[in-house]
Amino acid sequence: MTLKAAYFALLGLAEEDEITWPRHIQPAINRGRSVPLSIEWRKQGAGHNVRAWAELLVGVRALAAATTFGTAFAAQVQGCGQRLGQLWRETLRYHKNRAYLYEVRQVREVAGWLLVNADDL
Amino acid sequence: MPRKRRGFEEPPRHTVASLVERLVDELKSDRQSGQPTIEEEFPTGKLRVNVLWDQWERVPLEDRTATILRAYELAEGREYRDRIALASGLTVPEAHAAGMLPYQVITAVRKGDPVTVDQCRKALIDEGASVLFGPDSPQLRFSTEDEAEAARKRLAERLPNSEPVWVVTKEVGMVEDLAQR
Repeated sequence: MTLKAAYFALLGLAEEDEITWPRHIQPAINRGRSVPLSIEWRKQGAGHNVRAWAELLVGVRALAAATTFGTAFAAQVQGCGQRLGQLWRETLRYHKNRAYLYEVRQVREVAGWLLVNADDL
Repeated sequence: MPRKRRGFEEPPRHTVASLVERLVDELKSDRQSGQPTIEEEFPTGKLRVNVLWDQWERVPLEDRTATILRAYELAEGREYRDRIALASGLTVPEAHAAGMLPYQVITAVRKGDPVTVDQCRKALIDEGASVLFGPDSPQLRFSTEDEAEAARKRLAERLPNSEPVWVVTKEVGMVEDLAQR
């Protein structure tokens, strides 16, 4: 949610604006999949793909000089998305799997970093 | 009590040394065939780099990105590496599953053709086909028709008398996908 909120804030949406699938989410996904961003964004669970949302944010920001992240910060945002993407799926909520503690710790660290830096995303 | 202030520091990234070395060689050689590195330049001068490479299999995504950045730094210099806004490493099956490689060069060998299925299979692999779909069914895939057509021509040169057996196909997406666009 933090990453999606950051992307739509970048587009100029206000906090109270309604975000819908056809008007906002799907166009964002299509934009990410298209050249020049060419983000690997599979159809299944597309709206929940944290890694792809992080890459979309970094990529779209880099399209304009005024909004481009610094190199290290961009790498950190992408890295957070990649780690979350490897450890979390929205379908986990339908299963009784229990994560290992080191996985919980990794996700907590990454989510914490994103929350602490939410204003800069 | 101690009051500690910590600024943002880029955390150390894990790179795969053997792959860094190989990727540096690939970047410097700039070969026409093989699995591609795709660079897209933004109006800001920043770059988006996608390295489609089966060597990424079993390498975590973060390590792939770190490996790409390190290889660019060694091959092109620090300044060029800092232009890269987004770097991703994907295997060919991963890129294909995401719909990024809709074009494919396939073989249509008939009885009496002057080349064999085995020769074609070897030529496909030499040209950069992925064997991760299965060792007996190498797949040579591309994002554009022009790239596929260029590969078809190279295959015809690579394997004499094979020109008629190479065919470029395009996967047709589902109606549902088209409706979403």
